[in-house]
Amino acid sequence: MRRLVERIRRLSVSLWTLIVPPTVWAGHFLFSYLWAALNCAKAGRFATFPTLYVAGTVLALLLIAAAGAIATVQANTPGDPPPHEQSTDLDRLRFLAVATQLLAVLSAIGVVFTATPVAFLTDCR
Amino acid sequence: MDADNRIRQEGGTTAREATIDAIIGRRVTGSVLPALLLAACNRHQSALAPFGAEAASTRTLTIVLLVAAVVIAASMTLLMRHAIRTPGERLTHDQGMKLVLWAGGVFPTILLFALLAASLPLMRPAPVSPADLRIKVEGEQFWWRVVTAPGPGQLVSANEVRLPVGRTVAIDLAGGDVIHSFWIPGLAGKMDMIPGRINTLVVRADKPGRYRGVCTEFCGLSHALMAFDVVAMEPAAFDGWMAGQRGASATASAAAPGAALFARYGCGGCHAIRGTDAASAIGPDLSRYGNRATLAAGILPMTTANTAAFIRHPEATKPGVRMPAFDHMPEADAVAIATYLQGLK
Amino acid sequence: MTDLAAPADYVAPDQNDPAVRAVQEDRLRAVWQPPSGWFFRWTDVNNNRVGVWYTLTAFAFMLFAGVLALIMRAQLAVPENDLVTANTFNQLFTLHGSTMMFLFAVPMFEAVSIILLPQLLGARDLPFPRLSAFGYWSFLIGGVFVTGSIFFNAAPDGGWFMYPPLTTRTDLSGLGADIWMLGLSFIEVSSVAAAVELIVGVLKCRPPGMRLNLMPLYAWYILVVAVMILFAFPPLIAGDVLFEMERLLDWPFFDAARGGDPLLWQHLFWIFGHPEVYIVFLPSIALFAMLIPTFAQRHLLGYPWIVLAAVGTAFLSFGLWVHHMFATGLPKISLAFFSAASEAVAIPTGIQVFAFIATLWAGRVIWSTPLLYAVGSIAIFTIGGLTGVMVAIAPFDWQAHDTYFVVAHLHYVLIGGTLLPLFAGLYYYWPLVTGKKLSDRIGRTAFWVMFAGANLAFFPMHLSGLEGMPRRVFTYPAELGIGGLNMASTLGGFLFAAGVLLVCIDMALSPTRAKSPRNPWNAGTLEWLAHPDDEDWGIRSVPLVTSRYPIWDQPGFVDRVDQGRFFLPDAEEGRRETIITSVIDARPIQVARLGMPSVIPMITAVALGSVFILTTYHLYWWALAGAVATLAAVLTWLWTTAEIPEKPCKPIGHGLVVPLYLSGPSASGWWAMFITMMADATAFSGLLFGYYFFWTVHPDWPPPGHAGPGRFWPLVALALTIASWAATVGARELNVRGAVAAARVLLGVALLASLASIAAGLAGPWTSGLVPSAHSYPAIVWTLAIWTTAHAGIAAICQGYTLARSLAGRMTPEYDADLRNITVFLHFLLATAVATYLTIGLFPELRA
Repeated sequence: MRRLVERIRRLSVSLWTLIVPPTVWAGHFLFSYLWAALNCAKAGRFATFPTLYVAGTVLALLLIAAAGAIATVQANTPGDPPPHEQSTDLDRLRFLAVATQLLAVLSAIGVVFTATPVAFLTDCR
Repeated sequence: MDADNRIRQEGGTTAREATIDAIIGRRVTGSVLPALLLAACNRHQSALAPFGAEAASTRTLTIVLLVAAVVIAASMTLLMRHAIRTPGERLTHDQGMKLVLWAGGVFPTILLFALLAASLPLMRPAPVSPADLRIKVEGEQFWWRVVTAPGPGQLVSANEVRLPVGRTVAIDLAGGDVIHSFWIPGLAGKMDMIPGRINTLVVRADKPGRYRGVCTEFCGLSHALMAFDVVAMEPAAFDGWMAGQRGASATASAAAPGAALFARYGCGGCHAIRGTDAASAIGPDLSRYGNRATLAAGILPMTTANTAAFIRHPEATKPGVRMPAFDHMPEADAVAIATYLQGLK
Repeated sequence: MTDLAAPADYVAPDQNDPAVRAVQEDRLRAVWQPPSGWFFRWTDVNNNRVGVWYTLTAFAFMLFAGVLALIMRAQLAVPENDLVTANTFNQLFTLHGSTMMFLFAVPMFEAVSIILLPQLLGARDLPFPRLSAFGYWSFLIGGVFVTGSIFFNAAPDGGWFMYPPLTTRTDLSGLGADIWMLGLSFIEVSSVAAAVELIVGVLKCRPPGMRLNLMPLYAWYILVVAVMILFAFPPLIAGDVLFEMERLLDWPFFDAARGGDPLLWQHLFWIFGHPEVYIVFLPSIALFAMLIPTFAQRHLLGYPWIVLAAVGTAFLSFGLWVHHMFATGLPKISLAFFSAASEAVAIPTGIQVFAFIATLWAGRVIWSTPLLYAVGSIAIFTIGGLTGVMVAIAPFDWQAHDTYFVVAHLHYVLIGGTLLPLFAGLYYYWPLVTGKKLSDRIGRTAFWVMFAGANLAFFPMHLSGLEGMPRRVFTYPAELGIGGLNMASTLGGFLFAAGVLLVCIDMALSPTRAKSPRNPWNAGTLEWLAHPDDEDWGIRSVPLVTSRYPIWDQPGFVDRVDQGRFFLPDAEEGRRETIITSVIDARPIQVARLGMPSVIPMITAVALGSVFILTTYHLYWWALAGAVATLAAVLTWLWTTAEIPEKPCKPIGHGLVVPLYLSGPSASGWWAMFITMMADATAFSGLLFGYYFFWTVHPDWPPPGHAGPGRFWPLVALALTIASWAATVGARELNVRGAVAAARVLLGVALLASLASIAAGLAGPWTSGLVPSAHSYPAIVWTLAIWTTAHAGIAAICQGYTLARSLAGRMTPEYDADLRNITVFLHFLLATAVATYLTIGLFPELRA
């Protein structure tokens, strides 16, 4: 476990990793829109328990959780006292990790918000 | 109120002179400046004065949202004031971050989620059965083609929607030329009328009376002058009205001099009057024109003078109107046609 | 950097010696000297000057659009008014909205950023000064063209979102629609250009030490907003293309009778339109993020939270567009997704606002005029935000949509979220630009006048909307009982205008006032190094930054900068230079030579503008001539870029020696190309979306009676594009290994393959006889083919250009930026070609 944590800490972070969680949200949102639009336009209806949709949503949440977990480990890298505002590798890592972590929370909330309508609306009208 | 009662008593068929109708669309210039809020209470075209189930539930939602918004805005203002007035160092970094997390993050998330969950069921349209009344409305620049109960025995009309109270009605909306939007604020939310598409709005009126609807999607020069009358009737009165309307409408005044002029000026090239040779669907159907409360799509009170003036110079009332001007027509002819049309009941 | 060393005879200058410093300053002054003369002064490209022109122009457009609004309010003051005709009124509101959005809000953000960004980043200028100048001239030409139309009674009159078919049917709409589409497309191009400039500026021009975690929050917001522009504007450009094809060539994309669908425009417009709201709102938050710490005299609380909010808002804002289409009759489930996202987007906004409140709470607040504006605008914005949450609820929106309630909502958002914050920024940053403070007395009076005016004007509109007043009406019947509400709105509107007038008076009085001290607000961020008697060089030496608030936290910081004790204190070679650093950690990697004043950006803007303007008047041959002139100007301009330096590297102080030339992913030019192509690819996906959108609305696709372009020619075109791409990549690899001759041959081959792919790409629809005006299917197939082959044409020009550079000795194995940059273009071309040709060639086959 500790070795895993060490490996995670050494994973490189960048502006690209920062946007992984919201990108997953965007992908899930697009998936939601297309799923509903295609079902309604081409089939005229969708299933009352849409397996595909649930699977896509769970997958999105898992990806966001993974990105968030990695970021959490990295955000807690020991060293450098707070307030973490120095021009050091560690503080820069920690900043990006905290921002990623927060974005993961927001993205997860976003996915839950997006998926909620499927529980309430069950036809194409 | 007066008008509502009269419609109820008289089955709506002769209510065109009801007082509220008479003021709909009356052109008053230089009106006095009424007090700000007192004036703001019309009862025939307002989302705050519902006469239908959808609009009523939306009004409740509106009030809840407004109260919440006022409370939140007020607390934010007070909080900001407090934050600015507090001397420095009273709030530590950690406390500050807790404020951001709870007041800026967690609290809004919970509130918004609750709001979302509460609003989603309201989005579901009421169920429609094949037996329910359907009304097809098509938006044209700048009037409304209304077909009540499309199919055999359908009733074609223009600029007036009649519907029974207490019954589910499905209104099928389409755009004839450009995009319009169909809005009866007191009945339900609006729905766009888009060329090539048919949108269905499911409504149920609860209170008989005369109301007004308008076009809410910008549709050209006279977008502001594209309204229509709405008459909600008791079911029995509605059924009676339907039965009475289906027949030819010209019997009362076929011999009127205006009838011949109507034909001679080629009005039938665009307009239809049931029971006569005029059967074109390009312009508004004029059958039983005299029963309508307003003319020019909810803009002018139904008077002979207004009708005659509109025939000769429609663009004076409605810029950009598709109907050609008949400015060469002698006024007497226009009045005769107007009299004929008004006699169609 | 380890392989770099200063020349053996190099002696580091002694910054303690005032004489040395004076000589350095003379050299810097000479290099950064602005051009003079009644004409040539306008050929300047320095961000300080271009930024000011840009800001003043955008401000002027705002005043103009404000006057239009006053005329509208006068018309609506009483029911049944006849001050202006319906025709004039429609032009007024269309131009008011379009001008405020396209000629004020977005350009203003870019203009302010062009002024501020280099200062914030301790850079001498932005990486592409000439591009800024080009953007400015394009903006000016396009803006005057669009707004001027109203004086000829030819202004667009379809509303700022120009819904077809009202606007595409040439019998229902006139020249105004073309002026809107083509004039604003031109401005969108300049917006995208500015976005490229700003992104590269933030990522590559930071001072050494300013890692991502130390970036001023303004820079974070600029980065986020510029990226949003990159993804939001291109769908509108795609929509504009379809729109003009329908208007000029009768290709029926939005004509339902021929298989088109008006809703396609609404999708493309609002995919742009909603992020647009955040594009104009986030920069205001960025201004707050700079001035609130100053007046709280402490670091902003929750730096990563603000970054979270900026990035989160940017993403979520792309999932809101259908909430402008709640009444279009889409399935309720689709609406609900967008309703949900529209609720969720309020969360990051809440976090932003509370971070500011917490900062003010924790700090010792110095009350000031800019802070008054900031706090007041947050209050107004909060009301707009709350009504925003209301209209995000679909059932409520069905009532409020397209009524004055929405007019009230959007004005609260834009006044609280854009206009008043800009005035906050104006009062805050005026000393930075002019060296003088504005009047507190006039400023505060103006604020309260505007605050009262805004509320009096817009609050009653909530009620008039619910009372049945649709938006965009030139009149309303007295019997609605909303005359009083409208009179209040009109009075409020004029009151607000009086407040704006006071601000203008305050600015006009500024030259009569005394200079203020340097950094008058005692701020902590880099831009306040600016001196009241400023030099044109931007910053005396590029600092090493180790704090978010270096002026507060780094001892002796200002003096060290002023005495040239940091990096690049000199201009030995007589060139304008700035330091390029790495993206994440801001390590210095290059000294970039910047463009000098030149007339070329202006000429390019005029030439490109002529293409759009002449097309509006259907002068196609003249427009073609303009296009050729544009190409010539661009190539002339490019020829001067990526020049091979006289020496490979130079010392910048403190023992650091960095190269003068970079190519590939670490170079700013490569990034500019990459970012531009992201925008281009987004525009293409807008067109591709059109194809699949039509597929979903038609039960049969291709529709019966319309055969597709076949499989053969699309696949041939694809193969040729792949060949062109492979040859270019091969040329790059051979060139870097020194096989220059072979690389040139491959470039020639690539050029021929590109040209051949044009013929093959068009052959598909041509040989199968697809008539684009017959139906939306042939129209969209032709559009995709033309888009892709046009890009193949650009690829051919790129390849020919690079070949010429190689032959002219301006590109060598060592200095190969041109070849690396065009390879980026080819990568994107390949992706475009794969999507296009597989879609038009195989998609109908797959479903059969």
